[in-house]
Amino acid sequence: MARYLTGWIILWLCWPVSAWATQSHGGPEGLHVHQMAHLFFSFTMGLLIFWLRKWHLVTAKGWRYIQYSAIFFIAWNLDAFLSHWLEELSELMAIESVGVMQISIKVAKGHEWLALLYYLSKLDHLLSVPAMIFWFLGFRWLLKTPQTPNGIEDATP
Amino acid sequence: MMVTILPIWAVDVGGAVMMIVLSFLSVRYAILLRERDPQNIVWTYLFWMSMALALFAVSRSLGHIAKQVLIVTGNSSAWETLRPYSGAINSIAFTVVGGLTLFFERTWTIYQGMVHDRKALQQAHKELLYLNQNLESLVEERTAALASSEQRYWRIFQASRDMILSADAHGSIVDLNPAGFKMLGLEPDELTPQCRFPQFMNVPDQWQEIVAEIQQQGFIASTELDLNVADGKRRRVLLSGSREGVSEDNIHFVVKDIEQQHVIREQMAQADKLASIGELSAGIAHEINNPLGIILGYTQLMLRQEEDDTQRRDDLKTVERHVRHCKSIVEDLLNFARTSTPKKELMDIHAIIDDVLHFIAQHSSVDGVRIDTHYDKRIGNLLVDEKKIKQVFINLLMNAKYAIDGNGTISIQTGLSACGRRVLIRVHDTGGGIEEKNLARIFDPFFTTKPTGEGTGLGLSVSYGIIKNHGGDITVESFPGKGTTFTIVLPVPVAAVEN
Repeated sequence: MARYLTGWIILWLCWPVSAWATQSHGGPEGLHVHQMAHLFFSFTMGLLIFWLRKWHLVTAKGWRYIQYSAIFFIAWNLDAFLSHWLEELSELMAIESVGVMQISIKVAKGHEWLALLYYLSKLDHLLSVPAMIFWFLGFRWLLKTPQTPNGIEDATP
Repeated sequence: MMVTILPIWAVDVGGAVMMIVLSFLSVRYAILLRERDPQNIVWTYLFWMSMALALFAVSRSLGHIAKQVLIVTGNSSAWETLRPYSGAINSIAFTVVGGLTLFFERTWTIYQGMVHDRKALQQAHKELLYLNQNLESLVEERTAALASSEQRYWRIFQASRDMILSADAHGSIVDLNPAGFKMLGLEPDELTPQCRFPQFMNVPDQWQEIVAEIQQQGFIASTELDLNVADGKRRRVLLSGSREGVSEDNIHFVVKDIEQQHVIREQMAQADKLASIGELSAGIAHEINNPLGIILGYTQLMLRQEEDDTQRRDDLKTVERHVRHCKSIVEDLLNFARTSTPKKELMDIHAIIDDVLHFIAQHSSVDGVRIDTHYDKRIGNLLVDEKKIKQVFINLLMNAKYAIDGNGTISIQTGLSACGRRVLIRVHDTGGGIEEKNLARIFDPFFTTKPTGEGTGLGLSVSYGIIKNHGGDITVESFPGKGTTFTIVLPVPVAAVEN
C-alpha cells in the first residue's frame, strides 16, 4: 500500500500543473473593505458611548463632549457609507461630471428622491467637523479642569 | 438632473481644513495632558487616540482637497490614479481609530485598578506614618486603658457584696474577694491550696455535680445550696459559675447570699398562717362566747339564791370559776384574732415598761434575776392601747423569767430605726433558747413547751395579735444555749416623725 502511494506521489511531482495558490481580488473588494472600515468605526464609537455611560463618565462635561463626538462620528460613518453605496453600488442611479462645477445625476424612474439623498450625503463634513469639534472641546475641558480622567476624584498620589 | 457642486466643494474643502486644524489641536491638548501626568495610562491612551484621529483627519482631508483641486483644474485622470491609494489609507485610518477605541475598556479598567491600588498604598503609607510617629503615645494610651480596665474590674471584685471565687477543677480556692473571705470566715493567710470550696458546702458531694454540669454546658446558673459559713452558721446561697476559657481548668463563681430573702419568705408564710388561724379562732370564740355568758349568768343567779356553806354552792362556784377561765381563753383568742379595736392613746412606752417591771416585781419572785434596761431618750410618746401593750410586756417578761429559770439576765432595750419612723423594743433573756424546730410555731395559738397546766399557749399568740393590731411587728431570734430575743416594732406617730 505504501509503495503504491509513494509511486503516485513521484508521478504527480514529475508532471506539475498550476496550483492557483494565491487568490487575486478584483476592484470591488477595495470598496468593500472601505465600507467595512466605516461600519467598524461606527461600531467602536457605539461601544465607546456604551462604556462612557456604563461608568457614569458622562456626568463630567469633558467626557460628555467626547460622547457627542462619538455620536457625530457614527452619523458621519453612516452618511459616508450611504454616499459610497449610492456612488458605486446602486444600480438605481448614475452620476457623471459635467463641466467644472456641475454634475449630472440620473436616477431610475420613481426614485427621484435618491438624487436629493445623494446630494445631501455628499455634505458629510457637516457631520465630521462637529464630531472633531466635540472631540477637541472634550480634550480642552479635561486639560482645563485640574482633575483626574474621570473628572470626579483625585487619583494622583 | 444637473446640479452645481459648489456647496459640496465648499463644505468639502473648508471641512477638510477644519478637520486637520482641530485634530492637530486635539493632539496638542493630548500632549499637554500627558505631560501633566505621564504615569496616567488614560492620558497616554487619549494621546494615541488623538494621534489616530489626526491620521484619519489628515489622510481623509488631504485626499478630499486633492480630489477637489484636481477635478477643478481638469486633472480628473490624475485623481482617478490617486483615488485608490487615498481610499486605502482612509480605510487603514478608520481601522486604526476603531481598533484603538476597543482598548478603551481595558485601559479604563487598568486605570481603576491603579487608582484603587494607589489609594490602598496611600492609606497604608498614612497609617504606617501615623503609627511610626505615634507608636509611643499609642502604647502609653493602650497601657493606660488596660490599667484602667483592670482597676475597674478589680474594684468590682473588691467591692462586690457577693462572694466572687475562683477555684480549680479540684475545688482548691485560687482567688477570693473580701466578701468571700467574710462569708466563709477566712483570713487571707488561710487561703492555701488545701483550702477547698467543697469543704464549705453543707453537702460536699454537690461539688462533683456542679463541676460535671459546668464541664457539660460550660456554666451553671442560679443553683441553690447551703454553705457552712463563719461562726458555724449555715447560709442558703445562690451559686452561678463558668469556666475561665475552653482550655482553662479554673472556674469562676459568683455566690449570692439569699438567707435574708428566705427568712422574709418564711416570715410571710408565718404571718399568713397566723392570719388564717386568727380568722378560725375568731369564728370559734364568737360562737362559744355567748353560751359561756349565759352559763355564767345563770350560775351567778343560782349562787345568789343558794345559802352559804352548802355543797351545791361549792359546786356552783366551781362551775363559775371554770366558766370564767373559759371566757378568759376566749377573750385571749379574740385578742389574737384582732377583732377588738385597741383604744390608742399617746403614751410614754418607757413608763409602760417600768410599770410592767414594777408589777412583775411585786407579784412574782424575781430573786436571782437581773433586769437591765437601756432606753433611748429620743423616743417620744407612742400611740398605744396601754392595757394591751402592758399585757404584751407581761407575757414576754414572764416567758423570759421562765426561760432563765431563776438565774440570769433579762435586758430591755429601746431604740429608733435608721429612718426614725419605727421604735424597736428588744426583750432579751439569757435562758436556754428555743429549739429551731419550735421557732416557726411559737406564735401559734395553744402551742407551748411548758408542762401541762402551766400555760395555755396563748400568751405569745395574744401578744402577736396585739402588736399587729398596733400596726407593728414582733419577731424572735433564738440560739439554743445563748438565749432568746423578741423584737417589737411599733410605728412612731406621724406628727412625731414630722417634728
